[in-house]
Amino acid sequence: MDSLEDLDAMSVPDDVLMPTPWRIVSRRDETSDGAVFTWQLQPEAGEVPPFRPGQFNMLYVFGVGEVPISISGDPEESGRVMHTLRAVGRVTRAMQTLREGEVVGMRGPFGTAWPLEAAFGRDLVLVAGGIGLAPLRPVVCYAMRHREAFRRVFLLIGCRDPASELFRDDVIAWSRRPHLVVEVIVDRGGPAWRGHVGVVTKLVQRGGFDPTDAVAFLCGPEAMMRYAVLALQKRGVSEDRIHISMERNMQCAVGTCGHCQWGRYILCRDGPVLRFDRVTDLFDVREL
Amino acid sequence: MDIPERLARHPFCADMTPAVRERLAACAQEVQFEENAYLLRQNAPAKTFYLIEAGQVEIKIAGAATGHAPLETLSAGEAVGWSWFLPPHRWHFDAIARVPTRALALDADCLRSAMDADSAVGYAITRGLLAVLAQRLQATRMQLSDLYG
Repeated sequence: MDSLEDLDAMSVPDDVLMPTPWRIVSRRDETSDGAVFTWQLQPEAGEVPPFRPGQFNMLYVFGVGEVPISISGDPEESGRVMHTLRAVGRVTRAMQTLREGEVVGMRGPFGTAWPLEAAFGRDLVLVAGGIGLAPLRPVVCYAMRHREAFRRVFLLIGCRDPASELFRDDVIAWSRRPHLVVEVIVDRGGPAWRGHVGVVTKLVQRGGFDPTDAVAFLCGPEAMMRYAVLALQKRGVSEDRIHISMERNMQCAVGTCGHCQWGRYILCRDGPVLRFDRVTDLFDVREL
Repeated sequence: MDIPERLARHPFCADMTPAVRERLAACAQEVQFEENAYLLRQNAPAKTFYLIEAGQVEIKIAGAATGHAPLETLSAGEAVGWSWFLPPHRWHFDAIARVPTRALALDADCLRSAMDADSAVGYAITRGLLAVLAQRLQATRMQLSDLYG
Protein backbone atom coordinates (compact mmCIF):
# COMPACT_ATOMS: atom_id res chain seq x y z
CA MET A 1 0.00 0.00 0.00
CA ASP A 2 1.76 3.12 -1.17
CA SER A 3 -0.67 5.94 -1.31
CA LEU A 4 -4.00 7.31 -0.29
CA GLU A 5 -5.15 6.56 -3.83
CA ASP A 6 -4.57 2.87 -3.17
CA LEU A 7 -6.62 3.14 -0.03
CA ASP A 8 -9.39 4.85 -1.97
CA ALA A 9 -9.34 2.08 -4.53
CA MET A 10 -9.90 -0.50 -1.77
CA SER A 11 -12.55 1.42 0.07
CA VAL A 12 -16.20 0.50 -0.09
CA PRO A 13 -18.77 3.12 -1.01
CA ASP A 14 -20.79 4.19 2.02
CA ASP A 15 -24.10 3.44 0.36
CA VAL A 16 -23.22 -0.24 0.08
CA LEU A 17 -22.87 -0.43 3.84
CA MET A 18 -25.90 1.73 4.62
CA PRO A 19 -29.20 -0.11 5.05
CA THR A 20 -32.29 1.44 3.55
CA PRO A 21 -35.75 1.07 5.10
CA TRP A 22 -38.08 -1.61 3.75
CA ARG A 23 -41.59 -2.31 4.97
CA ILE A 24 -42.91 -5.80 5.64
CA VAL A 25 -46.03 -5.86 3.46
CA SER A 26 -46.87 -9.49 4.13
CA ARG A 27 -45.78 -12.19 6.50
CA ARG A 28 -46.63 -15.88 6.18
CA ASP A 29 -45.73 -18.76 8.45
CA GLU A 30 -44.14 -21.60 6.51
CA THR A 31 -44.21 -24.06 9.40
CA SER A 32 -46.90 -24.61 11.98
CA ASP A 33 -44.65 -23.46 14.84
CA GLY A 34 -43.91 -20.19 13.04
CA ALA A 35 -40.16 -20.79 13.23
CA VAL A 36 -39.88 -20.47 9.47
CA PHE A 37 -41.67 -17.54 7.90
CA THR A 38 -41.71 -15.59 4.67
CA TRP A 39 -41.71 -11.83 4.26
CA GLN A 40 -42.61 -9.74 1.26
CA LEU A 41 -40.81 -6.41 1.51
CA GLN A 42 -41.24 -3.12 -0.28
CA PRO A 43 -38.80 -0.21 -0.21
CA GLU A 44 -39.88 2.93 1.60
CA ALA A 45 -38.30 4.87 -1.23
CA GLY A 46 -36.83 4.10 -4.62
CA GLU A 47 -36.86 1.06 -6.81
CA VAL A 48 -36.39 -2.60 -5.98
CA PRO A 49 -32.92 -3.50 -7.20
CA PRO A 50 -32.77 -6.47 -9.57
CA PHE A 51 -31.27 -9.69 -8.23
CA ARG A 52 -30.12 -13.00 -9.63
CA PRO A 53 -31.25 -16.35 -8.17
CA GLY A 54 -28.91 -17.40 -5.38
CA GLN A 55 -28.00 -13.92 -4.17
CA PHE A 56 -28.69 -12.62 -0.68
CA ASN A 57 -29.54 -9.41 1.11
CA MET A 58 -28.40 -8.18 4.49
CA LEU A 59 -31.49 -7.66 6.63
CA TYR A 60 -31.27 -5.43 9.66
CA VAL A 61 -33.49 -5.23 12.72
CA PHE A 62 -32.91 -1.78 14.13
CA GLY A 63 -31.08 -1.94 17.41
CA VAL A 64 -30.60 -5.69 17.26
CA GLY A 65 -28.39 -6.64 14.35
CA GLU A 66 -27.98 -7.67 10.76
CA VAL A 67 -28.04 -11.08 9.08
CA PRO A 68 -27.54 -12.40 5.54
CA ILE A 69 -30.71 -13.91 4.11
CA SER A 70 -31.09 -15.45 0.68
CA ILE A 71 -33.72 -14.04 -1.63
CA SER A 72 -36.50 -16.57 -2.15
CA GLY A 73 -38.75 -14.66 -4.58
CA ASP A 74 -39.27 -14.62 -8.30
CA PRO A 75 -36.43 -12.68 -9.94
CA GLU A 76 -38.82 -11.36 -12.59
CA GLU A 77 -41.46 -10.13 -10.18
CA SER A 78 -41.08 -6.42 -9.67
CA GLY A 79 -41.91 -4.18 -6.78
CA ARG A 80 -41.20 -6.58 -3.94
CA VAL A 81 -38.49 -8.73 -2.46
CA MET A 82 -39.25 -12.06 -0.79
CA HIS A 83 -37.22 -13.55 2.03
CA THR A 84 -37.78 -16.79 3.91
CA LEU A 85 -36.23 -16.90 7.36
CA ARG A 86 -35.78 -19.37 10.15
CA ALA A 87 -35.67 -18.08 13.69
CA VAL A 88 -32.47 -19.57 15.06
CA GLY A 89 -30.44 -16.72 16.53
CA ARG A 90 -30.83 -13.38 18.26
CA VAL A 91 -31.54 -11.37 15.12
CA THR A 92 -33.81 -13.85 13.38
CA ARG A 93 -35.76 -14.37 16.61
CA ALA A 94 -36.28 -10.64 16.76
CA MET A 95 -37.42 -10.77 13.14
CA GLN A 96 -39.91 -13.49 14.07
CA THR A 97 -41.70 -11.01 16.34
CA LEU A 98 -42.09 -8.34 13.65
CA ARG A 99 -45.48 -7.98 12.01
CA GLU A 100 -46.81 -6.65 8.73
CA GLY A 101 -46.33 -2.90 8.47
CA GLU A 102 -43.11 -2.81 10.47
CA VAL A 103 -39.88 -1.62 8.90
CA VAL A 104 -36.49 -3.30 8.67
CA GLY A 105 -33.23 -2.27 7.09
CA MET A 106 -31.88 -3.88 3.98
CA ARG A 107 -28.84 -3.68 1.76
CA GLY A 108 -27.99 -5.76 -1.21
CA PRO A 109 -28.25 -7.86 -3.24
CA PHE A 110 -24.85 -9.45 -2.76
CA GLY A 111 -22.91 -12.52 -3.77
CA THR A 112 -22.71 -14.92 -6.66
CA ALA A 113 -25.73 -16.45 -8.36
CA TRP A 114 -26.72 -19.91 -9.51
CA PRO A 115 -25.22 -20.29 -13.00
CA LEU A 116 -28.48 -20.84 -14.85
CA GLU A 117 -26.78 -20.54 -18.20
CA ALA A 118 -24.64 -23.61 -17.42
CA ALA A 119 -27.84 -25.66 -17.39
CA PHE A 120 -29.46 -24.25 -20.53
CA GLY A 121 -30.49 -27.11 -22.78
CA ARG A 122 -29.64 -29.69 -20.15
CA ASP A 123 -31.34 -31.45 -17.28
CA LEU A 124 -31.31 -29.21 -14.23
CA VAL A 125 -31.29 -31.02 -10.90
CA LEU A 126 -32.12 -28.98 -7.80
CA VAL A 127 -31.43 -30.69 -4.49
CA ALA A 128 -32.79 -28.84 -1.46
CA GLY A 129 -32.55 -29.75 2.19
CA GLY A 130 -34.69 -28.03 4.80
CA ILE A 131 -34.63 -24.26 4.45
CA GLY A 132 -32.17 -24.74 1.59
CA LEU A 133 -35.20 -24.71 -0.65
CA ALA A 134 -35.49 -20.94 -0.15
CA PRO A 135 -32.39 -19.94 -2.19
CA LEU A 136 -33.42 -22.41 -4.90
CA ARG A 137 -36.98 -21.13 -5.14
CA PRO A 138 -35.98 -18.27 -7.51
CA VAL A 139 -34.47 -20.89 -9.83
CA VAL A 140 -37.76 -22.77 -9.89
CA CYS A 141 -39.59 -19.50 -10.57
CA TYR A 142 -37.23 -18.86 -13.47
CA ALA A 143 -37.76 -22.38 -14.80
CA MET A 144 -41.51 -21.91 -14.60
CA ARG A 145 -41.29 -18.77 -16.71
CA HIS A 146 -38.72 -20.15 -19.16
CA ARG A 147 -39.58 -23.78 -19.58
CA GLU A 148 -37.75 -23.90 -22.91
CA ALA A 149 -34.47 -22.99 -21.23
CA PHE A 150 -33.87 -26.43 -19.74
CA ARG A 151 -34.50 -29.91 -21.06
CA ARG A 152 -36.10 -31.04 -17.82
CA VAL A 153 -36.04 -29.75 -14.25
CA PHE A 154 -35.89 -32.07 -11.26
CA LEU A 155 -36.62 -30.58 -7.86
CA LEU A 156 -35.62 -33.01 -5.11
CA ILE A 157 -36.60 -31.84 -1.65
CA GLY A 158 -35.61 -33.37 1.66
CA CYS A 159 -36.98 -32.30 5.00
CA ARG A 160 -37.25 -33.58 8.51
CA ASP A 161 -40.97 -34.31 8.58
CA PRO A 162 -44.15 -33.27 6.76
CA ALA A 163 -44.66 -30.31 9.13
CA SER A 164 -41.34 -28.78 8.09
CA GLU A 165 -42.03 -28.86 4.37
CA LEU A 166 -41.66 -25.33 2.99
CA PHE A 167 -43.69 -23.57 0.29
CA ARG A 168 -46.25 -26.36 0.37
CA ASP A 169 -48.72 -24.66 -1.97
CA ASP A 170 -45.93 -23.84 -4.41
CA VAL A 171 -44.63 -27.39 -4.33
CA ILE A 172 -48.09 -28.74 -5.15
CA ALA A 173 -48.44 -26.26 -8.02
CA TRP A 174 -44.95 -27.01 -9.33
CA SER A 175 -45.55 -30.76 -9.24
CA ARG A 176 -48.45 -30.28 -11.67
CA ARG A 177 -46.19 -28.80 -14.33
CA PRO A 178 -45.20 -31.39 -16.92
CA HIS A 179 -41.62 -30.24 -17.42
CA LEU A 180 -40.92 -30.13 -13.71
CA VAL A 181 -40.39 -33.33 -11.71
CA VAL A 182 -40.93 -32.62 -8.02
CA GLU A 183 -40.15 -35.21 -5.35
CA VAL A 184 -40.34 -34.67 -1.61
CA ILE A 185 -38.85 -37.05 0.92
CA VAL A 186 -39.01 -36.82 4.70
CA ASP A 187 -36.88 -38.39 7.40
CA ARG A 188 -39.91 -39.18 9.48
CA GLY A 189 -43.35 -39.44 7.99
CA GLY A 190 -46.27 -39.92 10.33
CA PRO A 191 -48.96 -42.50 9.70
CA ALA A 192 -50.80 -39.96 7.53
CA TRP A 193 -47.84 -39.17 5.25
CA ARG A 194 -48.24 -40.61 1.75
CA GLY A 195 -44.98 -39.40 0.21
CA HIS A 196 -41.45 -40.78 0.22
CA VAL A 197 -39.68 -41.62 3.49
CA GLY A 198 -35.89 -41.66 3.63
CA VAL A 199 -33.03 -39.32 2.85
CA VAL A 200 -32.78 -36.90 -0.04
CA THR A 201 -29.82 -38.79 -1.52
CA LYS A 202 -32.25 -41.55 -2.38
CA LEU A 203 -34.09 -39.19 -4.71
CA VAL A 204 -30.77 -38.46 -6.39
CA GLN A 205 -30.03 -42.16 -6.77
CA ARG A 206 -33.25 -42.92 -8.54
CA GLY A 207 -33.90 -39.58 -10.22
CA GLY A 208 -34.80 -39.81 -13.90
CA PHE A 209 -32.27 -37.22 -15.07
CA ASP A 210 -29.47 -37.88 -17.53
CA PRO A 211 -26.33 -37.81 -15.36
CA THR A 212 -24.06 -37.30 -18.36
CA ASP A 213 -25.80 -34.08 -19.29
CA ALA A 214 -27.19 -32.72 -16.05
CA VAL A 215 -26.24 -29.69 -13.98
CA ALA A 216 -27.00 -29.80 -10.26
CA PHE A 217 -27.60 -26.99 -7.78
CA LEU A 218 -27.47 -28.01 -4.12
CA CYS A 219 -28.54 -26.04 -1.09
CA GLY A 220 -28.94 -27.21 2.47
CA PRO A 221 -26.88 -28.11 5.51
CA GLU A 222 -23.31 -28.99 4.61
CA ALA A 223 -23.62 -32.61 5.73
CA MET A 224 -26.62 -33.04 3.46
CA MET A 225 -24.77 -31.45 0.54
CA ARG A 226 -21.78 -33.72 1.11
CA TYR A 227 -23.95 -36.83 0.86
CA ALA A 228 -25.88 -35.41 -2.08
CA VAL A 229 -22.62 -34.74 -3.93
CA LEU A 230 -21.58 -38.36 -3.32
CA ALA A 231 -24.89 -39.58 -4.69
CA LEU A 232 -24.57 -37.34 -7.75
CA GLN A 233 -21.02 -38.54 -8.35
CA LYS A 234 -22.17 -42.13 -8.05
CA ARG A 235 -24.75 -41.41 -10.74
CA GLY A 236 -22.03 -39.95 -12.96
CA VAL A 237 -22.53 -36.20 -12.57
CA SER A 238 -19.07 -34.63 -12.75
CA GLU A 239 -17.89 -32.19 -10.07
CA ASP A 240 -17.70 -29.28 -12.50
CA ARG A 241 -21.45 -29.59 -13.09
CA ILE A 242 -22.32 -29.48 -9.39
CA HIS A 243 -22.84 -26.12 -7.69
CA ILE A 244 -23.37 -25.57 -3.99
CA SER A 245 -24.46 -22.65 -1.84
CA MET A 246 -22.30 -22.11 1.23
CA GLU A 247 -23.11 -20.19 4.38
CA ARG A 248 -20.75 -18.53 6.82
CA ASN A 249 -20.80 -15.54 9.13
CA MET A 250 -21.30 -12.83 6.52
CA GLN A 251 -21.10 -9.37 8.02
CA CYS A 252 -19.92 -6.66 5.65
CA ALA A 253 -21.22 -8.56 2.58
CA VAL A 254 -18.69 -6.80 0.35
CA GLY A 255 -15.57 -8.87 0.95
CA THR A 256 -13.69 -6.57 3.28
CA CYS A 257 -14.22 -7.71 6.87
CA GLY A 258 -13.17 -11.33 6.39
CA HIS A 259 -15.67 -12.86 8.81
CA CYS A 260 -16.98 -15.22 6.17
CA GLN A 261 -13.61 -16.42 4.96
CA TRP A 262 -13.65 -20.08 3.92
CA GLY A 263 -10.17 -21.11 2.93
CA ARG A 264 -9.21 -18.96 -0.03
CA TYR A 265 -12.74 -17.68 -0.50
CA ILE A 266 -14.58 -14.76 1.03
CA LEU A 267 -18.04 -16.19 0.79
CA CYS A 268 -20.04 -12.96 0.72
CA ARG A 269 -18.10 -11.93 -2.38
CA ASP A 270 -16.88 -15.17 -3.99
CA GLY A 271 -19.97 -17.11 -2.90
CA PRO A 272 -22.41 -18.13 -1.67
CA VAL A 273 -22.75 -20.15 -4.89
CA LEU A 274 -19.58 -22.01 -5.77
CA ARG A 275 -18.71 -24.71 -8.29
CA PHE A 276 -17.97 -27.89 -6.41
CA ASP A 277 -14.76 -28.85 -8.23
CA ARG A 278 -13.28 -25.55 -6.99
CA VAL A 279 -13.96 -26.31 -3.34
CA THR A 280 -13.48 -30.07 -3.03
CA ASP A 281 -10.31 -29.60 -1.01
CA LEU A 282 -12.10 -27.31 1.45
CA PHE A 283 -15.35 -29.15 1.78
CA ASP A 284 -14.32 -31.65 4.41
CA VAL A 285 -11.85 -29.51 6.34
CA ARG A 286 -13.54 -29.29 9.69
CA GLU A 287 -11.76 -26.26 11.13
CA LEU A 288 -12.71 -23.96 8.25
CA MET B 1 -39.56 -60.29 -21.42
CA ASP B 2 -38.48 -63.46 -19.61
CA ILE B 3 -37.34 -63.63 -16.01
CA PRO B 4 -33.54 -63.65 -16.69
CA GLU B 5 -33.91 -60.53 -18.83
CA ARG B 6 -35.97 -58.84 -16.16
CA LEU B 7 -33.39 -59.76 -13.54
CA ALA B 8 -30.67 -58.28 -15.77
CA ARG B 9 -32.57 -54.99 -15.82
CA HIS B 10 -32.93 -54.84 -12.06
CA PRO B 11 -30.07 -52.97 -10.32
CA PHE B 12 -29.70 -55.71 -7.71
CA CYS B 13 -28.66 -58.18 -10.42
CA ALA B 14 -27.10 -55.80 -12.93
CA ASP B 15 -23.51 -56.80 -12.13
CA MET B 16 -24.18 -60.54 -11.94
CA THR B 17 -23.07 -62.92 -14.65
CA PRO B 18 -25.72 -64.46 -16.93
CA ALA B 19 -25.03 -67.84 -15.30
CA VAL B 20 -25.80 -66.48 -11.82
CA ARG B 21 -28.90 -64.72 -13.09
CA GLU B 22 -30.09 -67.97 -14.68
CA ARG B 23 -29.73 -69.63 -11.31
CA LEU B 24 -31.71 -66.85 -9.64
CA ALA B 25 -34.33 -67.02 -12.34
CA ALA B 26 -35.02 -70.60 -11.35
CA CYS B 27 -36.12 -69.30 -7.93
CA ALA B 28 -38.12 -66.32 -9.24
CA GLN B 29 -41.66 -65.56 -10.29
CA GLU B 30 -43.63 -62.41 -10.91
CA VAL B 31 -45.99 -61.21 -8.22
CA GLN B 32 -48.44 -58.32 -8.12
CA PHE B 33 -49.72 -56.53 -5.06
CA GLU B 34 -52.78 -54.37 -4.77
CA GLU B 35 -52.59 -51.09 -2.88
CA ASN B 36 -52.25 -51.74 0.87
CA ALA B 37 -51.40 -55.42 0.38
CA TYR B 38 -48.69 -56.81 2.68
CA LEU B 39 -45.47 -58.11 1.18
CA LEU B 40 -44.01 -58.88 4.61
CA ARG B 41 -45.50 -59.08 8.07
CA GLN B 42 -43.46 -58.38 11.15
CA ASN B 43 -42.30 -61.63 12.86
CA ALA B 44 -43.73 -63.87 10.15
CA PRO B 45 -41.39 -66.44 8.55
CA ALA B 46 -39.14 -64.80 5.96
CA LYS B 47 -39.68 -66.92 2.90
CA THR B 48 -39.30 -64.51 -0.02
CA PHE B 49 -36.93 -61.93 -1.37
CA TYR B 50 -38.57 -59.24 -3.51
CA LEU B 51 -37.10 -57.16 -6.28
CA ILE B 52 -39.47 -54.28 -7.06
CA GLU B 53 -40.06 -53.63 -10.74
CA ALA B 54 -42.86 -51.09 -10.48
CA GLY B 55 -44.81 -49.38 -7.73
CA GLN B 56 -43.88 -48.38 -4.23
CA VAL B 57 -43.55 -50.22 -0.95
CA GLU B 58 -43.29 -48.78 2.53
CA ILE B 59 -41.41 -50.41 5.36
CA LYS B 60 -43.30 -49.94 8.60
CA ILE B 61 -42.78 -50.77 12.21
CA ALA B 62 -45.79 -51.82 14.19
CA GLY B 63 -45.77 -50.52 17.73
CA ALA B 64 -47.94 -48.55 20.08
CA ALA B 65 -45.59 -45.57 20.33
CA THR B 66 -44.98 -45.21 16.62
CA GLY B 67 -48.50 -45.80 15.37
CA HIS B 68 -47.37 -47.96 12.44
CA ALA B 69 -45.19 -45.20 11.08
CA PRO B 70 -43.34 -45.62 7.79
CA LEU B 71 -39.58 -45.96 8.19
CA GLU B 72 -38.69 -45.90 4.53
CA THR B 73 -40.27 -46.09 1.12
CA LEU B 74 -38.86 -48.31 -1.60
CA SER B 75 -39.47 -47.98 -5.31
CA ALA B 76 -38.73 -49.68 -8.62
CA GLY B 77 -35.17 -50.94 -8.75
CA GLU B 78 -34.94 -51.61 -5.03
CA ALA B 79 -34.96 -54.83 -3.00
CA VAL B 80 -37.29 -55.70 -0.14
CA GLY B 81 -36.33 -57.96 2.74
CA TRP B 82 -33.09 -59.56 3.84
CA SER B 83 -34.25 -61.47 6.91
CA TRP B 84 -34.56 -64.60 4.76
CA PHE B 85 -30.77 -64.59 4.56
CA LEU B 86 -29.96 -64.81 8.26
CA PRO B 87 -31.47 -66.86 11.09
CA PRO B 88 -34.02 -66.82 12.59
CA HIS B 89 -35.52 -66.07 9.14
CA ARG B 90 -38.32 -63.90 10.42
CA TRP B 91 -39.30 -60.46 9.16
CA HIS B 92 -38.40 -57.57 11.42
CA PHE B 93 -40.83 -55.11 9.88
CA ASP B 94 -43.98 -54.88 7.81
CA ALA B 95 -43.76 -54.07 4.12
CA ILE B 96 -46.91 -52.77 2.46
CA ALA B 97 -47.61 -51.84 -1.14
CA ARG B 98 -48.51 -48.17 -1.13
CA VAL B 99 -49.69 -48.34 -4.73
CA PRO B 100 -50.25 -51.32 -7.06
CA THR B 101 -46.82 -52.92 -7.17
CA ARG B 102 -45.13 -55.48 -9.37
CA ALA B 103 -42.10 -57.44 -8.20
CA LEU B 104 -40.02 -60.49 -8.83
CA ALA B 105 -40.39 -62.83 -5.84
CA LEU B 106 -37.46 -65.13 -5.18
CA ASP B 107 -38.08 -68.15 -3.00
CA ALA B 108 -35.79 -68.07 0.05
CA ASP B 109 -35.27 -71.85 0.34
CA CYS B 110 -34.38 -72.01 -3.33
CA LEU B 111 -31.98 -69.07 -2.99
CA ARG B 112 -30.22 -70.47 0.06
CA SER B 113 -29.81 -73.84 -1.64
CA ALA B 114 -28.35 -72.17 -4.73
CA MET B 115 -25.96 -70.14 -2.60
CA ASP B 116 -24.82 -73.23 -0.70
CA ALA B 117 -24.38 -75.26 -3.86
CA ASP B 118 -22.45 -72.70 -5.89
CA SER B 119 -20.08 -70.25 -4.25
CA ALA B 120 -20.27 -67.91 -7.26
CA VAL B 121 -24.00 -67.59 -6.73
CA GLY B 122 -23.49 -67.21 -2.98
CA TYR B 123 -20.91 -64.47 -3.45
CA ALA B 124 -22.96 -62.56 -6.00
CA ILE B 125 -26.07 -62.52 -3.84
CA THR B 126 -24.14 -61.73 -0.66
CA ARG B 127 -22.41 -58.84 -2.39
CA GLY B 128 -25.72 -57.51 -3.66
CA LEU B 129 -27.30 -57.81 -0.22
CA LEU B 130 -24.31 -56.13 1.41
CA ALA B 131 -24.68 -53.17 -0.95
CA VAL B 132 -28.37 -52.90 -0.03
CA LEU B 133 -27.60 -53.19 3.67
CA ALA B 134 -24.82 -50.59 3.48
CA GLN B 135 -27.11 -48.17 1.69
CA ARG B 136 -29.88 -48.69 4.25
CA LEU B 137 -27.45 -48.32 7.16
CA GLN B 138 -26.05 -45.09 5.74
CA ALA B 139 -29.55 -43.78 5.12
CA THR B 140 -30.59 -44.67 8.66
CA ARG B 141 -27.58 -42.87 10.10
CA MET B 142 -28.39 -39.81 8.04
CA GLN B 143 -32.00 -39.89 9.19
CA LEU B 144 -30.90 -40.23 12.81
CA SER B 145 -28.43 -37.37 12.51
CA ASP B 146 -31.22 -34.91 11.70
CA LEU B 147 -29.40 -33.61 8.63
CA TYR B 148 -31.66 -30.65 8.03
CA GLY B 149 -31.01 -29.03 11.41
